[in-house]
Amino acid sequence: MQPGQGNDEQGEGVSPFLAILGSPAARFLYRRLSQAVVVMLVVVVGSFVLLQFAPGDMVDVLAGEADLTAEQMADLRARYGLDQPWPVQLLAYMGRLASFDLGYSPKLAAPVLDVLLQRMPVTLTLVALSVVISLSVGSFLGVMAARRAGSLLDMTISTATLILYATPGFVVALGLIFFLSVKMRWLPTAGLTTVGADLRGMAWLVDVARHLVMPVLALCTSYMAIYARLCRATMLEITSLDYIRTAWAKGLPERRVIFTHAFRNALLPLVTMAGLQVSALLGGAVVVETLFGLQGMGRTAFDAVMERDVNMLLGVLFVCSFAVVIVNICIDLLYVWLDPRVKVAA
Amino acid sequence: MTVRRSSLFLGRILRRPSGALAAAILLAVFLMAILASVIAPQGPWVLGGDVRLWPGQNPAFPLGTDNFGRDLLAGVLYGARVSLMVGIGAASIAASVGVVVGAVAGYYGGVLDDILMRLTDAVQTIPSFLAAIAIVGVVEPSLTSIIAAVAIVEWPMIARLVRSEVLKIKGQDFVAACRIGGTSDLSIIFRQVLPNCMSPVIVATSLIVGTAILTEAGLAFLGLGDPNAMSWGTIIGSGRSTIRSAWYIVAVPSFAILFTVLALNLMSDALNDALNPRLNQS
Amino acid sequence: MKSHMMLHRRTVLAGLIATSLTPYFVAVARATEAQRGGTVTFVAWPGATVLNAAVTTAGPSTLVSSKLFDGLLDYDFGFVPRPQLAESWEVSEDGLRMTFRLRPDVKWHDGAPLTAADVKYSMMEVWKVHNARGRNVFAEVTDVETPDDLTVVFVMSRPSPVIIKALSAMDSPVLPAHLYEGTDPLTNPHNTAPVGTGPFKFVSFVPDESVVLERFDGYWQQDRPYLDRMIIRYIGDGATRTAMLETGEADLVASNGIPSLEIDRFRSMDGFEVNPDGYENVCIVCQLDFNLDVPELQDPRVRKAIAMVIDKEWLVRNVFFGLGVPATGPIHHQVAEYYTTDGVPSYPLDLAAAEALLDEAGFPRKADGVRLELSIDPQAFGEEPLRAAEYLREQLRTVGITLTVRNQDFATYVKRVYTDRDFQLNIFVAGAGADPTIGTQRFYWSKAFQPGVSFSNSTHYSNPRVDELLEATQVEMDPERRREQFAEFQKLVMEDLPTVPLVSTIRVTVANAEVRDYVSGAIGVFGGMANAWRA
Repeated sequence: MQPGQGNDEQGEGVSPFLAILGSPAARFLYRRLSQAVVVMLVVVVGSFVLLQFAPGDMVDVLAGEADLTAEQMADLRARYGLDQPWPVQLLAYMGRLASFDLGYSPKLAAPVLDVLLQRMPVTLTLVALSVVISLSVGSFLGVMAARRAGSLLDMTISTATLILYATPGFVVALGLIFFLSVKMRWLPTAGLTTVGADLRGMAWLVDVARHLVMPVLALCTSYMAIYARLCRATMLEITSLDYIRTAWAKGLPERRVIFTHAFRNALLPLVTMAGLQVSALLGGAVVVETLFGLQGMGRTAFDAVMERDVNMLLGVLFVCSFAVVIVNICIDLLYVWLDPRVKVAA
Repeated sequence: MTVRRSSLFLGRILRRPSGALAAAILLAVFLMAILASVIAPQGPWVLGGDVRLWPGQNPAFPLGTDNFGRDLLAGVLYGARVSLMVGIGAASIAASVGVVVGAVAGYYGGVLDDILMRLTDAVQTIPSFLAAIAIVGVVEPSLTSIIAAVAIVEWPMIARLVRSEVLKIKGQDFVAACRIGGTSDLSIIFRQVLPNCMSPVIVATSLIVGTAILTEAGLAFLGLGDPNAMSWGTIIGSGRSTIRSAWYIVAVPSFAILFTVLALNLMSDALNDALNPRLNQS
Repeated sequence: MKSHMMLHRRTVLAGLIATSLTPYFVAVARATEAQRGGTVTFVAWPGATVLNAAVTTAGPSTLVSSKLFDGLLDYDFGFVPRPQLAESWEVSEDGLRMTFRLRPDVKWHDGAPLTAADVKYSMMEVWKVHNARGRNVFAEVTDVETPDDLTVVFVMSRPSPVIIKALSAMDSPVLPAHLYEGTDPLTNPHNTAPVGTGPFKFVSFVPDESVVLERFDGYWQQDRPYLDRMIIRYIGDGATRTAMLETGEADLVASNGIPSLEIDRFRSMDGFEVNPDGYENVCIVCQLDFNLDVPELQDPRVRKAIAMVIDKEWLVRNVFFGLGVPATGPIHHQVAEYYTTDGVPSYPLDLAAAEALLDEAGFPRKADGVRLELSIDPQAFGEEPLRAAEYLREQLRTVGITLTVRNQDFATYVKRVYTDRDFQLNIFVAGAGADPTIGTQRFYWSKAFQPGVSFSNSTHYSNPRVDELLEATQVEMDPERRREQFAEFQKLVMEDLPTVPLVSTIRVTVANAEVRDYVSGAIGVFGGMANAWRA
């Protein structure tokens, strides 16, 4: 599968550009993207219908908070099209979606797209850092445990990671806040930056980093455990396979065997898991975001459900699904690179 | 399975220290649930003692009392019932749905497979905790809605597992032989194909029980718990606002959750090893 | 000679005393002399969506609004009006004209001058139209005359004793006509990028995250505000807010914004103080409404029986953690002018009597011990309504009533209870207002019953005499007669018991001791805080 190599069936004289377009990689991408569109449509329509079953709508929430009159409520409903039957609303939404208009959020008094663009970086940073840290630390621990399988080190690592996995997330987060922030005063408690400090450049980066240490740690713990155990199990399975035994027999140094041959193939399930972690964290880090006062995708979606802010919720789900789809495609491509035996087709 | 085979199976689980530990903890949890009405016959709701008694402060309340003066020991015991019900209920439903979807998709293939897989994709694309929040938030928070929410969110994993196993087995000779012999599709699926897929499904299902319990605790923490059911999550929710001064109210049920989920994970490991002896090497 | 020496000694003695006391005086002076500079940070939740309290009555907006905007009046302790934008005022003999003379040379943050036109616009287009409280309070205002740039006259169809109490920046901030005229006030972009006349001006607003304000150098009050900046941070979790106060990342928490048990801890911690002053406009009650359209609840004996299983002291201790007093009637105990217990029926805890009443009302215990099954919808705001509902469930269980608690989110609660009226018992906390006409009235006035509008007579109570009394108090200018009217009101309402008032809550500010003078009047931290400073 190399870009640039035209398909023989198309005959000679095919330009390189068309060759790329017709290559298996490109065909793979089309298929996946078109599947992705279908999936996202199902997500959007499904969520929209689900919210219709929710008692009360956005205007009820606004009314409960600010004592509106019946006329004002009717007026607001007309203004936001909430008095239309839901299929009509859905069609209107899809129509706007086609022109990338994600609608307006009355609660936040801003276009949905603006809010998402502003809050997405927070989530992306949290997710990226969590995945990188938990993957690296987890795999390292897993490899160590596998190398000395059955030893005290192995048991310690396995037990410690298991306990971390089984601890409810908010317990970890609250514990971190209590020890690192309140008791030790090493780190700031909540938020993304020191509000009102107007820091720029390096100082701002350091400030953000200090604020993100605890949330990232809280998000890492359960996945670190998963990677460690997965890595350990896969390493154990692979080191018993023939081609590894062959490498050993050939006299290759142990480290080289483990890290180049075995680990590379252990990466496959790890990468799958990483994809799942990304999708879970994108919208699911609600508890951590709540505790640390970070307005990420998860918290935004939670608030949108509570406020019955349909546009906002659909916007978040749309964006998150899109991100997940992209990540999945990348993972599939990673598969191919990692294991030449896996073919692009199917 | 014959008696001999099942005792061999059980033996394999119990031989490993982790398996034995897991079995012990899970047995304890079951006993707590069953014996709750014996040890604490007055139930977990009675506003019996002084509020916020620390564990050990009053021997009548060994685990202390919560913000209302309710006995935490009773809460943990009765909570075991609810948490187990949520866990096992959600996992069974997820497994049933997943097995059916996966088997049908894998066996019949074609358009049906495509449709079912796109549906599975769609459900998996939505972040699971978020979907649970949306479902429980939209319907009124209750044990039923929480069980349903977790089941809806977890079935795709089982479906995929079953589908890949079915695909593997589908091409084998004995299946072709059955089909030629005229056995109905349904019979083939349920009698020949599925029994060979069960091991990964069992392992995955035991993991889902743990996930369900953790999800229920998370939902309760966010205020989306069932207030009429005394679960470990309910106790955590009730103690959340006083966590700085009376942190034990959150800690006690959290420990219960910790040990149960730990045991479930160890058990699924042990099951995995017992069902796949090939991997049982060090 | 002797007198000369005595004088001399007295002078020396006086001098000695003076010099020995000087360090004390200097020290005291140093401690109480306001210093310029510094930043004060609030931490609060939920976040404000608009930054003025004119187009909305939502609580979070009131905290921010008064720092950016001024009202015509401010209020000293005891709710005594004092000048803010209005230097002086008078009410005509017949109570139908209220004249305010505006302070000269007041500037908006963008440099334009404040004129009477701004007040006229705010009253006629905003307070009377979009503000839920304003619609009620200013209902009698038919016009605003502006004979000159600095004079405003409210022209009224009937006298109103409450208007003079509703003109603070927290309730009725004056908006800039030159930026709002001709626009829709609800969607005007200045709602999130305000221009006001208040002590602080707008710097930035990130929804659900933070509001940053800085000193307005052109503020009309000399040398004020002292602070350089005021920041409000929005953090969703109570434990985190508490932690931030402890670490110093936040300095002030208003209106019980951290879990009540934590407030107790701060009372005894060095470097912090818990201050109950400045909540005279925030009188929040917790009450239990009965849906009077439900047949079982139409019998007053059933309602009284339910009232008699409630130990209000227990609720104050364990649900409100001491921050409240048992409610004895519809009016909040802090509204001293009208609050009374004389002749007002009460229903103390008496389980036996409750059981007797239920038997009498025709709900005997059946074979399984249960008399009646009811459901309760606690307001989905904070924890107190839910906890109180859980307590009620346990108490009612002992007298044979099975109560199901329906936990739901806010939208569902509002729709179920106020739009669909699909409920039996409803428990909530709500503002009763500095004057009963502003808050309490809407729970009992039959004309306030409007399905779809929240917290407005959800019981569907209708007593013609009570209506008569309430409508009289809306226009009664004689304080003595008004007191009598409210006294009779309290008696009647507690006899009929359409709702059981449970707790009159007490609100406090938890503050870092370095912040001084953050309360300088009746509305405390909900005011402009121009006098606040940092030690």
